[in-house]
Amino acid sequence: MKRLNNYRILFLLVTFIVSSSGYTQDSIAKQPLLDVNYFSYDNNIPYVQVMARLKQGRKFEPIKGVNIKLYLDSVSSSLLITDKAVTDETGKANAGMPTSLQKEWDASPTHKFIAEASGVKEFEGERAEIEITKARLLIDTATASETRNIIATFTALENGEWIPVKDVDIKIAVKRMGGTLTIGDEATYTSDSSGTVTAEFKRDSIPGDAYGNIVLVATVEDNDKYGNLSIEKTAKWGAPFAYHSTLNERSLFASRNKTPIWLLFMAYFIIGIVWGTLIYLVFQIFKIKKLGKQAV
Amino acid sequence: MDTTITLTEEQISRDLYPQKFGKRGTIWVAILIVICLVGAYAYYRQLKEGLVVTHMRDYVSWGIYISNFVFFVAISLVGSLITAIFRLSNVRWSTPLTRIAEIIAVSAIVFAAIIIVVDMGRPERFLNLFLHGRMQSPIMWDVIVIGTYFFISLLLLYLPLMPDLRILNRDPQKNPRFLNRLYRFGGSFWKGTKEQFRVSNRAIAILCIIIIPVAFCIHTVTSWLFATTYRPGWDSTNFGAYFVSGAFLVGAGGVVVAMYVFRKSYNLEKYITDLHFEKMGRIVVLLALLYLYFNVNEYLVPAFKMKKPEEQHLTQLFAGEFAPLFWFAILVGMLIPILILVFKKGRKPLPMFIAGVMIVIGAWFKRYLIVTPTLLHPFLPMNDVPESYKHYFPSWQEWAIAMGSLAGALLIITFFARVYPIIPIQETINEQNEKAEQL
Amino acid sequence: MLTDNQVNAASKSRREFIAAGLLAGLAAGCGSNTNPFTPGKDQSVAPSGEKVKLLSVDGEVIEVDKAFLKPVPETQHFTNSEERKGIAGKKFVMVIDLSRCKNLKKCQAACDHMHHIPPEQNWIKVYPMKDAAYDAPYWQPTTCMHCDNPPCVKVCPVDATFKRQDGIVLIDSDRCIGCRFCMAACPYSTRVFNWGDPDLPEDIAKMDYSCETSIPQKKGTVGKCDFCPDMTRMGMLPHCVSACPNGVFFFGDLNEDSVTNGSETFRFSDLIRDKAGYRLMEDLGTKPSVYYLPPVNRNFPFESGLENENNDTK
Repeated sequence: MKRLNNYRILFLLVTFIVSSSGYTQDSIAKQPLLDVNYFSYDNNIPYVQVMARLKQGRKFEPIKGVNIKLYLDSVSSSLLITDKAVTDETGKANAGMPTSLQKEWDASPTHKFIAEASGVKEFEGERAEIEITKARLLIDTATASETRNIIATFTALENGEWIPVKDVDIKIAVKRMGGTLTIGDEATYTSDSSGTVTAEFKRDSIPGDAYGNIVLVATVEDNDKYGNLSIEKTAKWGAPFAYHSTLNERSLFASRNKTPIWLLFMAYFIIGIVWGTLIYLVFQIFKIKKLGKQAV
Repeated sequence: MDTTITLTEEQISRDLYPQKFGKRGTIWVAILIVICLVGAYAYYRQLKEGLVVTHMRDYVSWGIYISNFVFFVAISLVGSLITAIFRLSNVRWSTPLTRIAEIIAVSAIVFAAIIIVVDMGRPERFLNLFLHGRMQSPIMWDVIVIGTYFFISLLLLYLPLMPDLRILNRDPQKNPRFLNRLYRFGGSFWKGTKEQFRVSNRAIAILCIIIIPVAFCIHTVTSWLFATTYRPGWDSTNFGAYFVSGAFLVGAGGVVVAMYVFRKSYNLEKYITDLHFEKMGRIVVLLALLYLYFNVNEYLVPAFKMKKPEEQHLTQLFAGEFAPLFWFAILVGMLIPILILVFKKGRKPLPMFIAGVMIVIGAWFKRYLIVTPTLLHPFLPMNDVPESYKHYFPSWQEWAIAMGSLAGALLIITFFARVYPIIPIQETINEQNEKAEQL
Repeated sequence: MLTDNQVNAASKSRREFIAAGLLAGLAAGCGSNTNPFTPGKDQSVAPSGEKVKLLSVDGEVIEVDKAFLKPVPETQHFTNSEERKGIAGKKFVMVIDLSRCKNLKKCQAACDHMHHIPPEQNWIKVYPMKDAAYDAPYWQPTTCMHCDNPPCVKVCPVDATFKRQDGIVLIDSDRCIGCRFCMAACPYSTRVFNWGDPDLPEDIAKMDYSCETSIPQKKGTVGKCDFCPDMTRMGMLPHCVSACPNGVFFFGDLNEDSVTNGSETFRFSDLIRDKAGYRLMEDLGTKPSVYYLPPVNRNFPFESGLENENNDTK
């Protein structure tokens, strides 16, 4: 899927076969995995993500603190995208395109991103790269006699022109918390000769915000040539949802300042009567004391 | 019964005056103090390490601290029974028993509060109950009711004590110096005038009226600590009445034991007579039958249905792991005392003392059976926990602290009897005079 | 038929349109963990305010907030009263698919690890269940149910456990007095108690307690599953959901009618209806927020989970 050196694939295969034969999990050598991925958000913000993981058998462990040097097209100090990227606890580091490389960036529709790792023992000297062609993904909505359609168009840059591309897998979904919900029965659609995909929106009355807005998202994921693209569009195709907070309701499980009134009434009434009587009796004791002082 | 012996005021005062500890008394106090100290050391260990020194774990998260707490609250109800109910119904023969009942009530409720703080995982945050307390919580209700009942019992102990304080203050040379200061505090203004008696009697009457609903509340609310949960064995609408009737029984049993012990130790045969044992015996039989009735309701009805969560619980109680303890508590705590006390011969002092001891011991184990077996039968199977979580037997620290709390309660009662007359002197005198006038 | 974009494009320049689209995307979307540039409408990525100049695909210079370049958003800190209120607009719900559970206990391992809890105090317990003699056995992972009528919250005397507006029930270990009434009240046996000093590494033990992470656990207080609100605030899923290799746990927002296990997303109402979802001990009236899908068409036989049972805690 990802563009790796042929050497890398061969090397990994060999080490995997050698190490997985008859060895226990612990004695399998840990192999460093460096992955480079390209993302383009909203057709506007391209960025590169480098991921550093240690592979042990079938387990992947993300590695923190790997220093990444990222280059555009070839390893040269004038083509340095960043040398300050460091992987975080998920093993990932992101870098956008610096303005200094504007000329080189515009010069060609296809670019190579090369990552060089250092700083962590297993990753010293590791290298990975990926080759990407600039592409654009557009999303639009159309309603025709009761049917709601989402139209996604995929074009790639070629000789300064945006040319539609056929047979690109595009996922169309509704944005939800933690993931995306398919709009119909299919998850993925393939672009036709005009680079277009038309998908019918079948999620009727899916809750949206207070006005019924939902966010539709079209994505191209892990494409060998074009990387990852995503674009969103808000549509008023959801059912309006009125949120009602429970914080102001009185209940037995609310906090102390939202005690049910009947309970407060009962409790304070009983306490009032009993302690009222007790305080009265304490005064009676003082009265006895006074009487004692009088009767000399 | 022989009640026609008229005693002079002087004789009554002399007999009922607080006496120094004899040899037996000193040994008794020494033993109690040692038990308390061991308990205190165990608590120090618990404060340092945390509740891990107990054998309570995630399933049995309430152990003998809580069953001890319920036991103490139960016994403390005797104050309202003997003192309040008998006073209000003008039962004259109960006069010698009122102060015994009240001091048992006060010391039991004090140790109920102490043992609850001992059971807390974070006792230093006790103030949170007042700063952030939630009125919706049954624990909040329990704290309020216990505090109220403690205050009422103190008042009910103090008000009838005032005339006796005057008697104690009459001859300061008889008392050690420290006790003189104690007697003067709160007693020096009592002159015995008709006005004072009127105010005092009225106050006592009001207290007696108000303590009864509070006493019912205290044990009902304590029962709600269990009944407001879903667990089998606890999820019962019967719990309020069941607990209150059990409390009356164990309180009465406690008073019988105390009657016998004080009678023997202080030679009070003329005041705590066979008649008192006879009458208390009948009352205890009645209360035991009442408690038996509630037990039958509590166990027979769910056993008839054998609902799934209760099936295992009830089987364990009747015929399983807890069967020996359960039948012991029923036999020793209820059935045998009933058998003893139903017969006139059984209502003599010594058999009654034995029956009283049996009732108290049976009650302690009954409270344990209410708390722990239910926790060992949760709705979901016990899994993904260490093996030790699936059983419960208290650790030595728990035993030490529980025994220490019981010893502490007995210590308070013992010291009280040393300091104040355990039988109201003035009231006994008044009663004698009334009887003499009637003749 | 004119598409909506064509209608809009007629009145705006392309540049403005893209800018508006970017803003709309930033404002309306929720964060997914593969796209750091979309902040959630519920504060999942707080803009740092610091902007950096980058190139767009077309080679134009644009300004992007620095916070969006982070693969994982920076954890924010909330005050105790904010943690007690919860996230507005959400109502968290979990669906556990019993036909996929093989008792791998990866959920348990992840939860124990991320919350620094010892193995005898699992917040997630996987029960071998067999409801009746002829019923089929199955593995049931149980978390806290975050009930909508929570018996534990009702009985807490000091407001140490509380129900938030997003449905989550949390514990404030700085307030808890350790009375364990909540443990007695919970019918799902989901609460655990720190009987002794939890053996935490020093830097964790010294941290300020946060109700949302439930870290650090303290001696003499109660602990339980917290639905990982710190993760959901960042647009990520609770640890058990991400850790399960079989996708047993689904997590989502009832108000959005959608649950996901990381790779699959379903419409919650459809899922429960089609697969006959149910809740545990429904008749107790606790109104739990965790639904179970019955173990039909199982992926694994029950026995394949038995091998993991003996590695139980000591």
